[in-house]
Amino acid sequence: MSNLIFGLSFLVFVSLLYLVYLSRDKKRLKRSVNKGIKTLIKNSIRLFSVFLIIGILKEFLSKEAVGNFLLNFQGFKGILSGFVGAVMMGPPASGYPIGKYLLENGASYSLVSSFLASWVMLGIVAVSMEFKYLGLKFTLVRNIFTIFSIIAISLIIGAIL
Amino acid sequence: MKKFKSFLKEYPLETIILTVAIILMILNPSKTLFGLSYALKTYLNLLPIIISVAFLMGFISEFLNKKTVSELIGRETGMKGVMIGAIFGTLMIGPSFIFYPLFKELREKGAGVNVIATTIGAWSIKLQWLPFAIPFLGLKFILLFDALILIFAILSGFVVSLFVKS
Repeated sequence: MSNLIFGLSFLVFVSLLYLVYLSRDKKRLKRSVNKGIKTLIKNSIRLFSVFLIIGILKEFLSKEAVGNFLLNFQGFKGILSGFVGAVMMGPPASGYPIGKYLLENGASYSLVSSFLASWVMLGIVAVSMEFKYLGLKFTLVRNIFTIFSIIAISLIIGAIL
Repeated sequence: MKKFKSFLKEYPLETIILTVAIILMILNPSKTLFGLSYALKTYLNLLPIIISVAFLMGFISEFLNKKTVSELIGRETGMKGVMIGAIFGTLMIGPSFIFYPLFKELREKGAGVNVIATTIGAWSIKLQWLPFAIPFLGLKFILLFDALILIFAILSGFVVSLFVKS
């Protein structure tokens, strides 16, 4: 729901930009609209395939299975096993119940942090899109640093809580 | 036939996904249909954002010039640009990868890689999910978690700009 509300306000904002800055200049307006339509078609094909693969994979990964798998690990191994969060699909909201389930069953805060952080920060799908649009070097450097960040965040949270 | 070939060249990965989906449709129709309806629902739910991003790109390519972009969020703006990226990323809603084409366009117009990396990093904060997260995991955990993500997002901007030229 929040996506829809945000999206519609975003749409109003972009329309206003067009109205204020481009409506007087027919030539530029035409070029912008053309580019917009082309981009829309291209992005739609790309994104729909991404959502399709997410939808299919989601059907094969159950929450309990993932939770029970993670409960086998402790300490630093727990932090590393939390990286399976990266293959989890869907909005992070579906990750919070898994996090709660893990805590209730004796998992450490570090494991839960690394699982949730991998979910929001690493996503397999996002990485493939990043590579396509921002290049190999950018993707590699940023994601390797992200892996270090996840370990650091988990250790810090484990130390504080 | 010619059109089909150029489609294949432009969208190799997408063609593979579609082929896999068709095969799965024959093998396990019920699960695949669930997947398909999930994809449709997600796409429609995000459609206003997807349309806005596409037309915003059209606008940027025509209207914004290199000088404006690089003065605002160029690599040399340093901490100022990175902070703009951090705030933007924190407030945005929806999966970050919808916006990657926009980041590419902005990068070509002079936006710094440090700013883009920080924006993507801060995107993980998901401010809009906070009301859902707190009942499950507690206020203390979530605040600490998000604060750390923000700090590391800002750091990632500096690390990326050390290794990636422009």
